[in-house]
Amino acid sequence: MKDYKTLTTRDMFALVTLLIGIKFADTTPALLAQKGQNGFWLIPIVSFIVVIPSFLLLIYLLKKYKDKNLVELLETILGTFSGKLLGLIIFLLAYSTLIFDSRNYVEQIKLLYYPQSPTLIIFGLFMLVAFFCAKRGFEVIGFTSWIGLPLIKFAVFLLALLVLREAVWNRIFPLFGSGLNIITMEGVKNSSIFMEFFLLTIAYTSFKDTKFFRRGSYLGSAFVVVEIVLFFLLYTIVFDYNSIGKIAFPFHEITQYINFGDYFTNIETFFMVFWLFGAFMRFIIFLYLITWIFGTVFNINEFEPLLLPFAFFTVMIGMLPENSIINEMVIRDVLLDVMTPLFVLFPFLLWFIALCKGDLKK
Amino acid sequence: MTVKKIRLLLSLFLLFLLVGCYDKIELEQQSYAVALGVDQTDEKGVYRFTFQITNPEVGYSAGGGSADEPPNETVTTTGSDILTAMSTVNSFVSKRMTLDHTKVIVISEELARSGDFIQIIQSASRTTQIRRAVQIVVSKEKAADFLNNIKPKMEARTHKYFQYMITRAKQTGIIPDADIHRFFQITEGDADLFLAIYATNEKSEPKEDGNEDEFIAGEIPHEGGSETQFMGSAVFKEGKMIDVLDGQATRLSHVLDYTLDMDELLSTYPDPIKHEYRISADYIQKTAAEVKIDYQKNKKTKIDVTVPFQIEVLAIPSLVDYAQNIEYQEMLKQSIEEDLEKKADDLIKKTQEEYSSEPFYWSLFIRNEFKDVPAYEEADWNKKIYPNADITINFDLERLGFGKMLNDTNLSEVRD
Repeated sequence: MKDYKTLTTRDMFALVTLLIGIKFADTTPALLAQKGQNGFWLIPIVSFIVVIPSFLLLIYLLKKYKDKNLVELLETILGTFSGKLLGLIIFLLAYSTLIFDSRNYVEQIKLLYYPQSPTLIIFGLFMLVAFFCAKRGFEVIGFTSWIGLPLIKFAVFLLALLVLREAVWNRIFPLFGSGLNIITMEGVKNSSIFMEFFLLTIAYTSFKDTKFFRRGSYLGSAFVVVEIVLFFLLYTIVFDYNSIGKIAFPFHEITQYINFGDYFTNIETFFMVFWLFGAFMRFIIFLYLITWIFGTVFNINEFEPLLLPFAFFTVMIGMLPENSIINEMVIRDVLLDVMTPLFVLFPFLLWFIALCKGDLKK
Repeated sequence: MTVKKIRLLLSLFLLFLLVGCYDKIELEQQSYAVALGVDQTDEKGVYRFTFQITNPEVGYSAGGGSADEPPNETVTTTGSDILTAMSTVNSFVSKRMTLDHTKVIVISEELARSGDFIQIIQSASRTTQIRRAVQIVVSKEKAADFLNNIKPKMEARTHKYFQYMITRAKQTGIIPDADIHRFFQITEGDADLFLAIYATNEKSEPKEDGNEDEFIAGEIPHEGGSETQFMGSAVFKEGKMIDVLDGQATRLSHVLDYTLDMDELLSTYPDPIKHEYRISADYIQKTAAEVKIDYQKNKKTKIDVTVPFQIEVLAIPSLVDYAQNIEYQEMLKQSIEEDLEKKADDLIKKTQEEYSSEPFYWSLFIRNEFKDVPAYEEADWNKKIYPNADITINFDLERLGFGKMLNDTNLSEVRD
């Protein structure tokens, strides 16, 4: 596909961080806080603990079977048919996530900044931008992520610093929120908030050296989980337990609340720019990855022309849910619950079969 | 045509982007409501909304707008919620109203006591326009009258008036920090009391005998300046106003609540030697009050509060030599501590008996005794724990300073 490969650790780090790291700034905290109350910041920790063995196992397998990406690995271990079937299922789930997540982001943009504009137009523009950037290819995406990362993280860091004034640390108590068993259950059920880790493995062979991929993904995932937990914690200590469950967009609520002294009030638009940039990056990467998975499953080497139809269908299907609350609280919640067992278990299945076949002894 | 020319032509289409999108609105087409007032009507579920719209052209030295335009326009209409009232207002206000720059929301005491306020504010916070930093002010009279009668003498720009007035009064601690954010936290947390700013334009019988902060708005004897007074706080329990605290009690709440801070607190204390005089001093608190709660199930809860503070004496009208006489200093120290402790004890007694909850946000300190929310809610801070608790307040004066004068002139030597 690509003759020259330039991507290194830092690009992988940026990809992981941007693809997953923005989750603290969308409706994920609202979804989790509904159930976990002020202990909801513990949920991603549980989720991460659940996901990490599967992820490490998958990396281990990829390392063993050199120079194969996710779908090729599936085909090698499971045989062509079952491998492709599993690849297709992964693709379908990931694509549905893309569709409903993007709708979700579009609703946020509409509600918060462009209330008069029709959803369809915003959605269309949003995916158009994502499509154009994704069309530039994986190298450009990786490089852009690396360039954009410091800007986005700077804005986020500034926001955290400004809001810290409003923080009341005692609000983290009672420590376990709605109860330890609920936190654990939700943590396990919602492990798929980290499922993008698995999708990224489709790009395993596209780095200068596969060790860059591994290194970048370790660093990136560690960074991401710390970032998400810290921000969830920040929401807890700023909003307290009864309010946090009622706020749909805590990130934007915070940007509206803070100001720079008496002179610079109403500064949310400043943060909106970086947030929007982060959101674009996420969907550029996401769109490219799922198209790639689809292309590999159906042996389409030149998959990049498929980006346009996929972007188009995202808009068309994404418009179906009636409103953002149904989209978020019903569809996304169910989707997260359904995906979790698949993504947590399939690396173990692969490992077990590979072990039985004796491939791992080499 | 070459490719280059086609590209050039296509790039012309980029100009279309410049006209903007659906949400484009010129600054001129908007009017900014800086203050929002809500009053009750006779009908349930229908309220009177007052919008104070600022005139952005006033106060510009650069000129521009005509000089005769008033600094603001205040309009009132009825409606069931803020947003629909805003569109009704457009039948007599020429521009689209936005709440992006709203600084205060004023509710009449009547409405606050009826308990309907929480519904109004909840439906308002559903929109993205109302910010969580908007301050809640309770006015003694009708909110519409309050807003109509605000006539700042110097600060003609209404939005700056509210911003500075409230920021400054908050610094001195005589009014609480009462933004919507805090209102929701406390009301939804359902344990503590929320304090809103209390203000009025109406002069009541001035209370001539009170010390500097023992007033509520309207009682302060003053001449000149604006008639509008911000002083004291309205106490909200579960979203319903139940009482008014004077400036002194509000300051004490600041002292006891570690989530609020205040910059300076100039106050007077009784002179322990010449009782007819009072000593004025600057109260400085470097660290927050320390609250220790000893909670055991089925036992009386013990709450120990220690407030470390420092005093910088500013004036000793009695001319007693406190600065150099160690013995007198001890007496002064003790008298200040006792004075504060007594005031705090009175306030706490009142909150325990009358309100059966407290405005100091102390429920935060008991939360670490519980491992999850259901257990915490079952223990019921404001019904079971706080009203029956044993509370001791200990003010601890760490340092007594005397400014830059060593001693006052002895009057008998001057007037001989």
